Amino acid sequence: MSKLKTKDLICQLSDLETSLNGFSFEELSTLEAKTLKNSFNRFKTQLNDQIFGTDKINEKDFFTNEIISVPTPSQDNKLIAHVSHEIRTPLNGIIGFTNLLREENLTEGQFKKVEAIQSASYNLMEIIKEVLEYSKLTAGIEDFDSVDFNLHRLLKDVMFLCQTLIVDKSVTLNIDISPDVPNILIGDPSKLSQILLNLLGNAIKFVEKGQISLSVVVTEQKKGTHMLQFSVKDTGIGISKEQLGHIFESYKQAEKDTFQKYGGSGLGLSIVKEIIEKQGGSIAVTSILGAGTTFKFLIPFRKGNIQNISKNKPKSISTQKGKELLGGTKILVFEDNELNQHLISEQLTKWNCITHVTANPKEGLSLLNTEEIDIVLMDLKMPKMSGFEISKSIRSLQDTTLNQVPIIAFSADFTAQDQEYCYESGINDFLLKPYTLNELMIKLLKRKKERNLTQASLRLLKQETIISIKQKKETVELSSLLQECDDEIEMLEELVRLFKQNIYEFIGAVKIAISNKNFEEIYHASHKIKAGLALMNTNDLKRLIVGMEDGAKNTELAKIELLFAQFLVQYPLKEAQIDKELKKLKKR
Amino acid sequence: MNERTILLADDDQLLASLLNFRLEKAGYIVDHVLDGKEVKEYLSHTMPAIIVSDIMMPYFSGIELINYVRKELLSQTPIIIISSTGNEENVLSAIELGANDFISKPVSPSELLVRIAREVNKIHI
Repeated sequence: MSKLKTKDLICQLSDLETSLNGFSFEELSTLEAKTLKNSFNRFKTQLNDQIFGTDKINEKDFFTNEIISVPTPSQDNKLIAHVSHEIRTPLNGIIGFTNLLREENLTEGQFKKVEAIQSASYNLMEIIKEVLEYSKLTAGIEDFDSVDFNLHRLLKDVMFLCQTLIVDKSVTLNIDISPDVPNILIGDPSKLSQILLNLLGNAIKFVEKGQISLSVVVTEQKKGTHMLQFSVKDTGIGISKEQLGHIFESYKQAEKDTFQKYGGSGLGLSIVKEIIEKQGGSIAVTSILGAGTTFKFLIPFRKGNIQNISKNKPKSISTQKGKELLGGTKILVFEDNELNQHLISEQLTKWNCITHVTANPKEGLSLLNTEEIDIVLMDLKMPKMSGFEISKSIRSLQDTTLNQVPIIAFSADFTAQDQEYCYESGINDFLLKPYTLNELMIKLLKRKKERNLTQASLRLLKQETIISIKQKKETVELSSLLQECDDEIEMLEELVRLFKQNIYEFIGAVKIAISNKNFEEIYHASHKIKAGLALMNTNDLKRLIVGMEDGAKNTELAKIELLFAQFLVQYPLKEAQIDKELKKLKKR
Repeated sequence: MNERTILLADDDQLLASLLNFRLEKAGYIVDHVLDGKEVKEYLSHTMPAIIVSDIMMPYFSGIELINYVRKELLSQTPIIIISSTGNEENVLSAIELGANDFISKPVSPSELLVRIAREVNKIHI
């Protein structure tokens, strides 16, 4: 069963991989996207080795269905421990990076693709949870959710994900939902997606050219329970009669060479059957060799209530993440409209921000002084003194900590003139009313980050205790490294390319590790990057990294954050210097 | 065994590709592995002329590697350890356990070439 689960996991991983491959990185061309892809591929290989070992014999056992090794319980536990650890860390990375990607300026198409990656990652996370709850499963306690969910939305998501799985194939996907199928149902949505993804995923694998269709109808209705029939029909290679009889058995695929041709585990269907039957349903298959296959399954669902959905809908990760990052931020809001005062303070409190709202400029300025405010939100239409004027007076304060506080203005109408005023009066950013919560959060996060950075630098400049980062402008010198490359400039270019890539990976890894307080990861990431920094003669950066390594050893998060922030400021400058130096050497 | 084959075990991509480049240019055949597990897997079927290994590796440290080669595989294949600052004590134990030489980070490929050549010549003497 544990192998069953891990095999399922591999299936999901393949899905995720396909989804990643379908993602057009040219469009995006951010290094984060590339890094994401690389790290994923590395992780997948590693994971495969972890689970199957590198020896092929084991793998053969697994797929040729002749010998099924039954793992002993202790082996199982070891496997689970391995799997959970090996997957969760890098998966966090994938999720983290997609979150970062989401915050970039993406086109609608790109955003959809990022969402597909996220959606696949979450599916994967779900499976991992299942692996971890393995003991529960073996004890026969299978948990099925019973929550209200939107079936149409779920089907749309599933279809979208499947669409991304179709690569270089002339396959069309159709969906047909009978009008009497209720929109809101009560049941286990994640299990239903799992079933559909499995069946549709199989179909996509086996259809080279043609059609795959999903249809949903109500076959029976009594006492508020709807028996839904889902049909997944394809025009693929089909399955022969004798093989059809074994199709729901574990480890069976139509032919031994099917695996070589189509990949996959031959495990999905047995799980699908199990999940359907445990929900009081059934599944059947009909197929004509060479013409196609149809899977039909029935599951009873009760009709749900739309009102319950928002309650059990999980908060979107970006909100969750944003909340973590924003927590504890001290925000001062200048707003005179009482309703708006309520609204904003409620929202900010929800995000665990410490909020002060005032309509009085004088009171506001004194709060700024006493409450160590991180960010100011400014309504421009204030009665006594306009938002522009208040902002100006903040900027003209003596104290450097106070006069540099980020100011975000909001207003119902912005003219070009207003925008100009904004910059003149020192306002950093603005939001047009009505703004979405997401917009507000993104702006706040962005400013919070900058604020942290300036705060950190200020502290450093004042104390200089932690580490002496004298900005004495160490220049980059690569000619000795070029010598080590036997004066071959192409090699040096390759090294620079690798160096940059390593740094981006490092930045991504540390960002995530810091938010998870994963000191071990920070230590490893820092340690790993050191040699490269030394090689590139960027010793000032290396000092920061050595400091981070130290900080990780002693679990000093504040120190790490400080140094990392410095690194983020200094690295782009350094990269520009490296590029310049490389250009110079190339001309020679 | 090819007398020009070097097993290079280092998880630092940058350093590894530079070393790879220089060593191959100098006429060696370089097999590069990233971590201790890969080292072990490699050594189970091939014994190179020389092993160059980082002292700190995931899964299997340089020290464990030396022990493995000397005590389990009973091989006297020269081992050169790459060490970083802060690992001075480990270098000492590496030498005690049978490492032939060590080189400190930041590694100069030219220096490593000399050290490798020295070990290769020792074999031929």
